[in-house]
Amino acid sequence: MSALTFDRLGKAYGETDVVKDVSLTIGEGEFVSLLGPSGCGKTTILRMVAGLVEPSRGRILIGNDDVTSLPPNKRGLGLVFQSYALFPHLTVFENVAFGLRRRKVSGAELDKRVKEALAMVRLAAFGERYPRQLSGGQQQRVAIARALAPHPRVLLFDEPLSNLDAQLRDEMQIELKRLQRGLGITTLFVTHDQGEALSMSDRVGVMAKGVMQQFATPEDIYHRPATGFVASFIGKPNRLSGMIASRDGAGGTVKLGNSLVLPAAKLDQPAGARVDIVIRQEAIGLAAGEAGQGALPGTVALRSFSGARVQYVVKLADDVELVAEAPSSGPDAALPVGSPVALRLDPAAVFAMTPEGERA
Amino acid sequence: MSATTEKADKPGLAVTTVALLVVVFLQIPVVVVVLAAFSTTSYLTIPPQGWTLQWFAKVLSDPTYLSAIRMSLILAFGSTAISLVLGTAAAYALFRKAIPGSEAITSFLMAPLILPAVVIGVALLQYFSMTGLRGSLFGLLMAHVIITVPYIVRSALASLSGLDLAVEEAARVLGASGFEAFRLVTLPLIAPGLVAGALFAFITSLDNVPVTIFLISASQTTLPVLIFSSVEMGVDPSVAAISTLLIVATGIILLIAERRAGFHRFV
Repeated sequence: MSALTFDRLGKAYGETDVVKDVSLTIGEGEFVSLLGPSGCGKTTILRMVAGLVEPSRGRILIGNDDVTSLPPNKRGLGLVFQSYALFPHLTVFENVAFGLRRRKVSGAELDKRVKEALAMVRLAAFGERYPRQLSGGQQQRVAIARALAPHPRVLLFDEPLSNLDAQLRDEMQIELKRLQRGLGITTLFVTHDQGEALSMSDRVGVMAKGVMQQFATPEDIYHRPATGFVASFIGKPNRLSGMIASRDGAGGTVKLGNSLVLPAAKLDQPAGARVDIVIRQEAIGLAAGEAGQGALPGTVALRSFSGARVQYVVKLADDVELVAEAPSSGPDAALPVGSPVALRLDPAAVFAMTPEGERA
Repeated sequence: MSATTEKADKPGLAVTTVALLVVVFLQIPVVVVVLAAFSTTSYLTIPPQGWTLQWFAKVLSDPTYLSAIRMSLILAFGSTAISLVLGTAAAYALFRKAIPGSEAITSFLMAPLILPAVVIGVALLQYFSMTGLRGSLFGLLMAHVIITVPYIVRSALASLSGLDLAVEEAARVLGASGFEAFRLVTLPLIAPGLVAGALFAFITSLDNVPVTIFLISASQTTLPVLIFSSVEMGVDPSVAAISTLLIVATGIILLIAERRAGFHRFV
């Protein structure tokens, strides 16, 4: 049973297409993220679903109902805004009650459902406060309770965690996912943060320039990117320009600089083509000392510490530079600049795509 | 911190003195009028000779003054109410919707603040003569709407620009119709600004002479116009008494506006 369907959904402002014919189907209870850089059209899609932006083309279905031309108040959705958009002149209780009152819920039933919603976000004791008396994280939870209280058919999130500090964001990710699983509510989550999208979602739609690049599970998005854009947007990529040296099945070898030849698992061009080569930092094994069989020799050009990991800029033959990392508690955490290192590349993490490899 | 920088932060003695003199100079007429209202003499004089409240009693029992006060209040309440509805609606539309030429429309609505009031008065006299509205209460009310609406538009625009656009969208998604979202969310949030604008509009209407004097009919008059013509015909302290009442009323309204709405932020 599909909960939310986009049928060739498109939006143009004047001559500019911001969303180009996106079609996808979201199942009942599924958690789907739309991921992409700012301006990729993900927020426009969300606003079209909510009824705040009118589509130029295509249809939106909630369940089996075509809602494309319904006003926002007739769609029965919940939306959590990036700015929370709480009503500052109403108490937390009245904020949460707002959607219920519009549905003519009153008296004991209203009281019960507001308290239920507040309990879900662990704010049962805060009903009499005003939004300005709450912290950012608490306001965020009020916004979630307000969206949940009327039992919406689909829950929409517009970058809801981007105003929280890093630690709170991680906590909220887990809390949100637990809440969503517990209620089994279909959820569309818009974000530019790949960590959020990958960790919370059943499926992720990666978007660029208004086009859906890939709509798949987080595992497929990460390990089997469909386009060069997805490969270079996900993970922590090194992005280098090079050439396909030879083909062998789906993969082959790629050449960087004059002499550096690397195996690659997935190539989408014939031998001789100029391509962008994407190598995930986290897929490069790094060890101190001279390179043995199957490893690439290099020297450390720069070291930077970032907590759990240490990043090294490693200079290979022909002045090709790659960023590689090592755990900061391991034996290779403190290699000085200029010291020799050996790099081992997992061919499965080497992607070669046509330059500007976006699906258009 | 050195002594010199501290000194630089405070205004010098000269500046303070000049500022004080300006304030005193501006307030002296008010003080003079108020003092003259209490004089026992039948002409205006300063300092007042003796103390009496008889001039207040006289104006408040004079049917000419009472009917003028009534007329002024009808105009002030009526024009403020109409301006409040029209001005808020205009500001909301100008702010929220993509209206072609919204900048020009805003300037047009604000024009009565900049145009000399006499010009507006003459223009309206001409217009009302042509359309048969001359001397009618309706015409006068419309004239007061024209001069009061800029205050509402300005304070409504200022309030709206401080508002998170998403709150109204949030209300819509939660099931409120467009009008409900405005009434339940936007209106309460801009209300302090509207109150301030309305009080200022009220005062503006209440003491307007230059526009009203062109449009008033022979049988009706407003309080400030009556005061104006009384002074021309020869002055006794009853003019000062009614002026004092007007000053006090205005002062109280301003005080309420500042207390309730942080008035200075909007006008």
